[in-house]
Amino acid sequence: MTKKQSRLFFLISTAVFTLVFLGLTLHSHTRFGELTHADKMSAQVVAGKDVWHHNNCINCHTLLGEGAYYAPDLTKITQQRGEAYLSAFLKDPSKFYSEERHRRLMPDPELSDTEIANVIAFLDWVSQIDNQGWPPRPILVSGATFPGTNTTSASTDSEPAEAQRPASVAAGERLFNDASTACSGCHSIAPGVDLAGPSLAGVGERADRTVAEAGYTGEADTGEGYLRESIVAPSAHIVGGERFSANGISFMPTHYGEKLDSDQIDALVDYLSTLK
Amino acid sequence: MRFRSQRVAYWYFAVALCLFGLQLVMGLLMAAKYLGPDPLLGFLPFDVAKAMHTNLLIVWVLAGFMGGTYYVVAEESRTELYSERLAYIQLAAWTLMGATAIVGYMLGWTAGIKMLEQPYPLKLVIVAVMLLFFFNIFMTIRKAGRWTLTEGVLIAGLVLAALLYLPALLPYENYTVETFYRWWTIHLWVEGVWEMIQGSMLAFLLVRLSGADREVMEKWLYVIVGLVFMAGILGTAHHYYWTGVPGYWLPIGGFFSALEPVALVGMAIYAYAAMRRSGAAHPNTLAVHWTIGSAVFTLFGAGLLGLAHTWPSINKWTHGTLITAMHGHAAFYGAYAMIVLAMISYTRPYLTGNDPARGQSLGFWAFWLQIAGMFGMTLSFATAGIGQVYLERVMGLGYLDTQLKIQIHFMMLVATGGLFAVGVVLYIVDFFRFAPSHITAPNDADGSIQPRGAA
Repeated sequence: MTKKQSRLFFLISTAVFTLVFLGLTLHSHTRFGELTHADKMSAQVVAGKDVWHHNNCINCHTLLGEGAYYAPDLTKITQQRGEAYLSAFLKDPSKFYSEERHRRLMPDPELSDTEIANVIAFLDWVSQIDNQGWPPRPILVSGATFPGTNTTSASTDSEPAEAQRPASVAAGERLFNDASTACSGCHSIAPGVDLAGPSLAGVGERADRTVAEAGYTGEADTGEGYLRESIVAPSAHIVGGERFSANGISFMPTHYGEKLDSDQIDALVDYLSTLK
Repeated sequence: MRFRSQRVAYWYFAVALCLFGLQLVMGLLMAAKYLGPDPLLGFLPFDVAKAMHTNLLIVWVLAGFMGGTYYVVAEESRTELYSERLAYIQLAAWTLMGATAIVGYMLGWTAGIKMLEQPYPLKLVIVAVMLLFFFNIFMTIRKAGRWTLTEGVLIAGLVLAALLYLPALLPYENYTVETFYRWWTIHLWVEGVWEMIQGSMLAFLLVRLSGADREVMEKWLYVIVGLVFMAGILGTAHHYYWTGVPGYWLPIGGFFSALEPVALVGMAIYAYAAMRRSGAAHPNTLAVHWTIGSAVFTLFGAGLLGLAHTWPSINKWTHGTLITAMHGHAAFYGAYAMIVLAMISYTRPYLTGNDPARGQSLGFWAFWLQIAGMFGMTLSFATAGIGQVYLERVMGLGYLDTQLKIQIHFMMLVATGGLFAVGVVLYIVDFFRFAPSHITAPNDADGSIQPRGAA
């Protein structure tokens, strides 16, 4: 190759790829409105974006997976936590998390009520952006169970909410994660995380609906009754399809009615009822 | 140095190294914050330290580029600079801008856009400084009436870098569109025109350090820069994943960013072959180490580690985790920190008027401690990131719980970061051991210059 040829290679390839890039950029502009639901970008959303920028949020958090890696991704946060929770959290993060437990804490952003409402509106708009289905599984802030261990964010006494919970709920959670009971070996409480058994995320809420459904085959008439029935007689009502049952028989072991005493079952039911 | 006005480079390098030191302080602070708890929460929280850390990087590397350019342009065009005084004014404005930004971040004055946190008035100062710089450079070349391809590529890289900063000056209502154009600045800097700058500095250093034939080196410089743009321009798409852009950016990003290492392999071969042919006989062996090191570490950090998570079906799981920090640290360090340190190591004996081979043991300690430290930091981020991806993204453990489980990697990060810091401190000490000199003398450049344009 001569120098002239190498120069030609440089000029032509740069020109070609620049043109392609600019062309695609122009085309992208015709799609941005639809993909980001620009029609829903209200004045409040735009004001919320300014709150996001002025408070330098991006240098701890990620949004759409971009930013810093010191704090959780917030792309879908409004779909995981309600507005009431987020407002209360932004007013004083230290009420929700402690540095002793998580070794890091969000500084109080000192936002006004309007700023809080705006930034939540912005985050809610972001959560609707069509971004090829990312994240593929929900990214949780905390509170999920790591399968096979008794580690959850709520499993120690330093959790501020702990004091308000009935003792039986805490006992039920310990039991759920306990290695000998091993509920958590097959059931995650993280949404969408199906292990050997289906995810129990939201099961407390689901139970009430299930007993009221026409296709319900068990004998319980309340949500709590259904949860108890699922523990002692797993096949009374089958859910979740052929990954979790065959020929009308659930894959879940049937010995829990004998293995656990009635106090323990009560505690488990109390705990599962809190999963909403 | 051959021309008296080349001494401005000394002061650009001095400022760059001081800011590099400060960047490291911030980096170590952040690593400590990852371990937590953070006693500085109310005074210097993570977000402020992070903004300082990345901005100091940009400011010091660009100061190094500008200082290096003043040195290169004088030598390649064989002339004194158009105005030494203008170069000092420019440096003062640049340093003041950087210092104001840093103090501003502590007081909450920020644009809050990743890497482009500079508040609007400071963005305008950046533009003004760049204009001043180009004016001085163009007038110098005009005065000399000659230029070489190496300096041409270097200046073109800097001009394009300034042009690509312009989208950052526009306001965007739509967050996705804002992100889209933010990458025009950041990506096309670091995976486009800054590589042009790196390539030309590499060519400049290789011609001098190895005595390689200029015609050959410049011919391959065209090829390397061509390859950089061929993959790098459309490679921007790997930053568009999952941000609300049309789906076709995904396969485009995957394909072209997978091609990006080709140019970097070329650059490493380029450096290695040039040195091999000449037997690395140059007395300034430290500069030889930094030069080859930059090409090799770029291949590792930017090429290999970038490739590791650039494919969309992998990036879907690694996006926004510490895997990105792994790639970012090794890539920036190898490509830009090391090429500036190579430039400084090569020019320092001339700028301070002492023998290139003199007193190098401190310099070698600095080199190897930095390499070992950065390699260790990269591994710490990698292991932490892999743990994070599996626990948080795949298994569904909460973010905060995951971070507790990967604490050991943050301890590794603090330890290796400390090692790296020792290397940087030694480099800075080594640099400031010698006072700047005003004596001009012939050097490697004599007899090897083949200028283009009217002589």
